[in-house]
Amino acid sequence: MALPASKLDPPVNQLVVSKSNPSFWTSSWRIIVKKPGRVIGFIIILLYIFMGLFGPMLYPKQLPIDPNAIYAPISWKYPLGTDFEGTSNLALVITGARYVLFAAFMAAIFTVVFGTVLGLVSGYFLGFSDSVIMRITDFILTIPSFPLLVVLSTVWNFGQPVAMGFVLGITGWGGLARAVRSQTLSLRERGFIEAARSLGLSPMHILMREILPNVGSYIAMNLLLTITGSIYAEVGLFFLGVVPFQVNNWGVMLNLAVFSAGAMSSAQALPYLLSPMLALLILTLGIVLFLDAVDEMFNPRLKEV
Amino acid sequence: MKGVLIRLSQRVIWGVIMVFVTASFTFFLVRMMPGNPVDAKYNQLVMQGLTPVQAMNKVRVMYGFIPHEPLWQQYIHYLNQIAHMNLGQSISYEGVPVLHLILTAAPWTIILVLTGLVASFIVGVLAGVIAAIKRSSPVGSAISLSGSLLHGIPQFVMGLFLAYVFTTLWVLLPFGAPYNAELTPGLNGPFISSLIRHAILPVATYALSSYGGWLLTMKSSVITVLGDDFILAAEVRGLKMGTRVRYIAHNAILPLFTIFALSIGFMLGGSLFIENIFDYPGLGNLLLHAINSRDYPLMSGAFLLITVSVILSNIATDFLYSVVDPRIRR
Repeated sequence: MALPASKLDPPVNQLVVSKSNPSFWTSSWRIIVKKPGRVIGFIIILLYIFMGLFGPMLYPKQLPIDPNAIYAPISWKYPLGTDFEGTSNLALVITGARYVLFAAFMAAIFTVVFGTVLGLVSGYFLGFSDSVIMRITDFILTIPSFPLLVVLSTVWNFGQPVAMGFVLGITGWGGLARAVRSQTLSLRERGFIEAARSLGLSPMHILMREILPNVGSYIAMNLLLTITGSIYAEVGLFFLGVVPFQVNNWGVMLNLAVFSAGAMSSAQALPYLLSPMLALLILTLGIVLFLDAVDEMFNPRLKEV
Repeated sequence: MKGVLIRLSQRVIWGVIMVFVTASFTFFLVRMMPGNPVDAKYNQLVMQGLTPVQAMNKVRVMYGFIPHEPLWQQYIHYLNQIAHMNLGQSISYEGVPVLHLILTAAPWTIILVLTGLVASFIVGVLAGVIAAIKRSSPVGSAISLSGSLLHGIPQFVMGLFLAYVFTTLWVLLPFGAPYNAELTPGLNGPFISSLIRHAILPVATYALSSYGGWLLTMKSSVITVLGDDFILAAEVRGLKMGTRVRYIAHNAILPLFTIFALSIGFMLGGSLFIENIFDYPGLGNLLLHAINSRDYPLMSGAFLLITVSVILSNIATDFLYSVVDPRIRR
């Protein structure tokens, strides 16, 4: 075999075969504090998680309205101004975060579970299951997902974040499944997998303990990217107004600001439009900054550095 | 060549199956809807004083099947109608065939998205090559940063931002509608200039939000090619920088062509937000109108067309790729 040196198996110590020496959390922490950008990203993400978990508890269930402060300018009392009823935009953004973030989180979980399991099975067992799974994946990848979501909104009740997340996950796992499959295909020919097979380890063990950790970095990055993608998709659905408004969230705010409050033409309603946008953009910034750290955390090849 | 033909015919068969599945999906979606819109329409027509037979005929023309037949017969009727390119009649534009509506809307979307797509592709790819070759200099990292930032901004935020800045803050460009309604459509100067002025912002929105993706993909593709042995060989042989960049770009752009060709298929469904914000009469707006006015035949038709275009472009891409890249033909 005259393979170029780069095509040969990398030394075993570069692959996650056994558990890494320092605990996962310690090494993750070290990776995060290495660059200030990552710390900022991490703090932003923590802030949003906090907002999603406890945001609605900070305010009464019915947000106070103030007829004297309709479209109030930015002030100490209303840090982001007020909406058409005199409700604080900051309160709307904070209480609206839970639906958006929870649905996006569920979407990412569904995407990752479907994509990873199907990709691993299809790439490792090959044969009949592979061709069936890949045909379904082709189909999922072909149907334009946003128009599909818009059409599904006519029958599916998106009021519950889990329902929203489920649909986003069902329509979005194709790309991940295909990527995991191709990684599995190349890994299954590697020496350490062959060794595991000849040791008589079960396929379950090989898939979960030997192959999965090596695809981990890709999956973790995908989890974060799916979260941002799902947030855009769901906020977009609410913005277009095809989903009935049941709970306050950022998309509802955008829709009302543009199509009811006329924020595009009246300057006083502008803060109402800008607050949900700001919430979206800061979160995106946080995730983009943090992605870099996630890559290093889960990618065994970068760990030596 | 024989291999290519076999592959092509496999793809075509697969494409037909996909169209069939999509058509079935929209059929069952409409039938499964709460309150069953087909029966509701039938009952409404009977209430309006039509005889059951007239009402049934009318519903049949709209949806392509008869409401009181067993489900499987309705299904076969519906598929038969679609095979004959009959997508039924719209409900909200009473009596207008769905096919006519979607075919008048499609060109608006195609012009809008195609212009944006081509512009962002050219600029993004060139910027990507520069960003990859000069990746350790400030210029390169500035270009990469612009790509990441623009890539991260969702299309609707970009659209709203551009609309606000250029139509409200500085009234430079018109907002809403595809052209000035006072002008008569036709090949005259004022009409065409109005058409272009109205298209600038929607096209710019599309171009700016897809520029980042092209840039980042091209950058990583170029970096991969830079590590290839033949580039080192070219350098060792003393080939000029310009020649080497040409080699690199030629090899790096291949995967991008695939993505570009695939994007052409996703074109019809790719501008829902833009058309909605700028009130552009394209296919996306038609789909939204159909959903908001519960016009299900129109909705099914528009969705079917959006999907079929993706399927067709997938087949075309597969075929073209085997022509462009000789390594695929084996």
